[in-house]
Amino acid sequence: MKMKSPKAMIPGLYLTLFFAYLFGPLIIMVITAFNSSNFPRVSPWECFTTDWFGKLVADDALIEGIGNSLIIGIGVVVVAIPIGLAAAIMLSQVGPKLRASLYTIFIAPILVPGVVIGLSTLIFWDRIGTFFNAPYESFFYDGTFLTIFGQVTFIAAYSMLVFLSRIQRFDHTLTEAALDMGATPTQAFVKVLLPFMAPAIGSATVLAFLASLENYNTTVFTIVSSSTFTTVLSSKVRYGLDPSISAVAVIIISITLIGAIIFEVRNRYNSKGWALVIAERPALKVATHPGTVAGILGVLAIGAVLFIQNYDSNACTAQILEEKRALQQQLMEQQSLDTPTPTQSAPSSTVPSMPSLGPLGGDEGGNEGGDENGAGSDSSAPASNPFGGANGIFAPQNLRGSEGN
Amino acid sequence: MRDLFYDLVRRNGMAVAIYLMLAVSVWVFLLIILPQLTMLDYSFRFNLPPAKIGGPEDVYTIEQFKYFFQGGGSSGGFNALDIGILFKTLFSAVFVTVFDLIICYPVAFILAKSSSGAKARLLVLALIVPYWINEILRAFAFRILFGSTGVINEVGMGLGLFDSPIDFIREDVALYAGLAYAYILLMIFPLYNAIESLDSNQIEAAQDMGASWWQVHAKVVIPYAKPGIASGMTMVFMLTSGALAAPQILGGPSNLWFTQLVYQWFNSGGNWPRGSAYAMILLLVCITLVLLTMRIFKVSIGEIKR
Amino acid sequence: MTKEISLEHVWVEFGEFTAVQKANLNIAGGEFFSFLGPSGCGKTTLLRCISGFQDPTRGVVRIGGNDMKGVGPNKRPTALIFQNLALFPLRSIADNIAFPLEVRGVDKKTRRKRADELLELIALPGQGDKKVSELSGGQKQRVAIARALAVEPDILLLDEPLSALDLKLRQHMRTELRAIQKQVGLTFIYITHDQGEALTMSDRIAVMNKGKVEQIGNGRTIYDHPTSSFVASFVGENNVMDGTVLTNDGKMMTIDAGLGAAFKVENHPAGGPALAPGDVCQLFVRPEALHLAKDDSGINQFESKFVSEEFEGNMRHIVLDAQGKKLKLSLINDGTNAIRANAPVKLDFAPNLGIALKPGELASA
Repeated sequence: MKMKSPKAMIPGLYLTLFFAYLFGPLIIMVITAFNSSNFPRVSPWECFTTDWFGKLVADDALIEGIGNSLIIGIGVVVVAIPIGLAAAIMLSQVGPKLRASLYTIFIAPILVPGVVIGLSTLIFWDRIGTFFNAPYESFFYDGTFLTIFGQVTFIAAYSMLVFLSRIQRFDHTLTEAALDMGATPTQAFVKVLLPFMAPAIGSATVLAFLASLENYNTTVFTIVSSSTFTTVLSSKVRYGLDPSISAVAVIIISITLIGAIIFEVRNRYNSKGWALVIAERPALKVATHPGTVAGILGVLAIGAVLFIQNYDSNACTAQILEEKRALQQQLMEQQSLDTPTPTQSAPSSTVPSMPSLGPLGGDEGGNEGGDENGAGSDSSAPASNPFGGANGIFAPQNLRGSEGN
Repeated sequence: MRDLFYDLVRRNGMAVAIYLMLAVSVWVFLLIILPQLTMLDYSFRFNLPPAKIGGPEDVYTIEQFKYFFQGGGSSGGFNALDIGILFKTLFSAVFVTVFDLIICYPVAFILAKSSSGAKARLLVLALIVPYWINEILRAFAFRILFGSTGVINEVGMGLGLFDSPIDFIREDVALYAGLAYAYILLMIFPLYNAIESLDSNQIEAAQDMGASWWQVHAKVVIPYAKPGIASGMTMVFMLTSGALAAPQILGGPSNLWFTQLVYQWFNSGGNWPRGSAYAMILLLVCITLVLLTMRIFKVSIGEIKR
Repeated sequence: MTKEISLEHVWVEFGEFTAVQKANLNIAGGEFFSFLGPSGCGKTTLLRCISGFQDPTRGVVRIGGNDMKGVGPNKRPTALIFQNLALFPLRSIADNIAFPLEVRGVDKKTRRKRADELLELIALPGQGDKKVSELSGGQKQRVAIARALAVEPDILLLDEPLSALDLKLRQHMRTELRAIQKQVGLTFIYITHDQGEALTMSDRIAVMNKGKVEQIGNGRTIYDHPTSSFVASFVGENNVMDGTVLTNDGKMMTIDAGLGAAFKVENHPAGGPALAPGDVCQLFVRPEALHLAKDDSGINQFESKFVSEEFEGNMRHIVLDAQGKKLKLSLINDGTNAIRANAPVKLDFAPNLGIALKPGELASA
């Protein structure tokens, strides 16, 4: 056997680096969700904790946002899928000239920036509402309805592309065959074309739902006074970095991974090569059935939840707290010996667990908070203390200041 | 329109034809065209309190666009701040797009031509998984990564590359990295689809005739993949210049993205007409740029796919 | 049950392009009728006119005496078997066969019963629950026929249904198709570019070229007595020589083809426009009609030189050169070899096997 030449290893190496860029930030974010430090970070590692998950469950705003997101997601699917399907079918049936211009119109919402779509949707329905003298409680001003309309505008285009790639593989002689055998055009549509499109309807539904769930740019305009999962998340991120956000990421990543694994297993299970292997060994058939895999993953998830509920990180956190106190004590004593400077005295703030880590972590708050303030034009009083309050590093005032330019 | 409808009836029957026409009309008129026209109309109006709307003062004006160029002061001024933000946004979006193209091309090529079957599918799945994670969370991950006690600074200082933490947020490094990361998939897939459909024999034939590896790419693969490259670049450019979440989370304090200006006029500013005007400016400039580029590279809009 | 079809002055135009010009023919009930021609000759367009997918620009299509104008494909008593068969991949075999009944609102039990009957007919009993993808090419073929027969149409239209099959299966299916046609007694209209299929199965054949029906007749007539240069050169192989008519007494012609003595050729009564002395003509002699001359006494004799040979097992195809004209001679491989390279080869042919026609377009090889 010959060793691979260095040149042949370049693609593998490049892929490794690329996937490191792709997954590295996510992995680090996941790790921070289990560190008891109040600021999301990997080092210094304090204690393994699952408290941040508990904090999520107790977050009413987030739960409400998720609820709204689910309602909007279902609404978007119900409206966008029939539209996307109709558009794809229409494109497949018109002449080349009309097809080109229709395609340009249909694809436009994907290229138009999300903020523009959100804004125009809001303005348009506001004007319609004014025209009809509709009261403020009517749906013209309702965040959920507006968000569904806004998101459908471009998600219908996404689903159209899914349908289009499927319908391109449709053999139009099948419809002709159905007509020839006495089917009415409607019967041919329902009994031949629609069943052919069924798998694409499935995948377009998943895609549309996910696109709706994760949309921010459009939603932030159309949601008005209500909230969705992403808008709640975004205000959480902007008003203070907090490991509970990492915990949200852990949950989302887990769901995505489980979905991906089940998808892959299902694919392999249904693929021809595997069918042969499986056919010879009944045990393998049971073990690799997508249902079995889903079951195992489910058991693992429940196990993780039970573990989280029973695991108690209090002992460790208390110990860390003690260490910090000791360190702080030591610093104070040192300070009283040296000439005290304002920066050094500041760490003795009201919340002991956060800032006073001396050389390692303490200046993080100072540095970032300070910069934000320095640049922000008119940030208000409390943030001018470089060390901020409880979670003062990215206190709302700072960000508001920086945005208000 | 009537011909189209009759044709659809003939092909699909009355019930289905009505469904097709109705669904597409609702989409095109109620969701796409009319809202855009309303926004256009709004952008040419004064910002009036509700009571005065429809009154004698509610007339068309170019005031909102003038503001973008001349600022709020007396006439003849120059709104260097907002115009600067627009240019910076566009320039950064171009930079991010080119960066994505450079890092994604090799990946797309390796995936399309060197991997096979199950392995390629697994890699593609691995590409999709990060894309399903919320935009906000992806930006948040970069905030953690590039914070002054983030992993990058810790490692950098640990290795002795620099003494004090570098403020990546302020330097916009985090923003560019986060934006490039956010839309990687939209660059890879068009590239992958384009390169995948290229007959591998063409590459081998070129090598056989003595082309070096970069000649193979420059003269065979890239010209063939041009529609894919164009559609990937268009998507990434439009999404980057229209991004809102990443600049809000990762943007440095003194650095605004143009979408944030729109957001401000609209929300905190409460000035819908000016917000509309700024949105129109963003839309027009971006579309002009994209159409211009497509004209230069001789690619049609019909070739743009997700 | 079976209905006759008539096409009256049917034209089909697509913009500037004329796909079918002035098709005028009658197909009797119960007949196996083929349209034969190269691709793009308009035969599929004509079939689509009969099945209702295409409206003629001018002219009338009648089925059983009724004008079919405005009658959709789903209302016509025709059933079409598509080139790619167009079986529904997501339906089982039985559901495919029962589809025409399903769309007519026939209940499930009756449908299943009829499907089973038809599966018997096509010799695939008990296979109704299989998927389409589980069948072989020939089996799919038979399922497509069964599906077309499910509602007992009057006319079965077949659009090159055998072209996707391999050679052996194709030859087998020819016999089978003909047998099914005899059994059910329907009118079959068959489209093909393969003359072997047309000749073996059909009662009558219409040869088409560039939208025009060139000749209609049974296989024998088409092969032995073509009425145009195109038919002579498209159906089977033919040697063609340019010549001039010297005499024509109505029964026999003499033709100077520049190969020594003038050839004597029969003037066929069916043969198109008459040739007068002095007319330029094309003389067709099939490779199997050429004959190695035994002695110097026969008529229509001429000399040639050996060029090359293609050996096909049962047949030997010999390329010869007669004063610069390339000719092909087909001989049965009977173990003898009377041809030597460099020696002159003497040929002759019988007067009834030469065909003289007005010069016209030849089928491209």
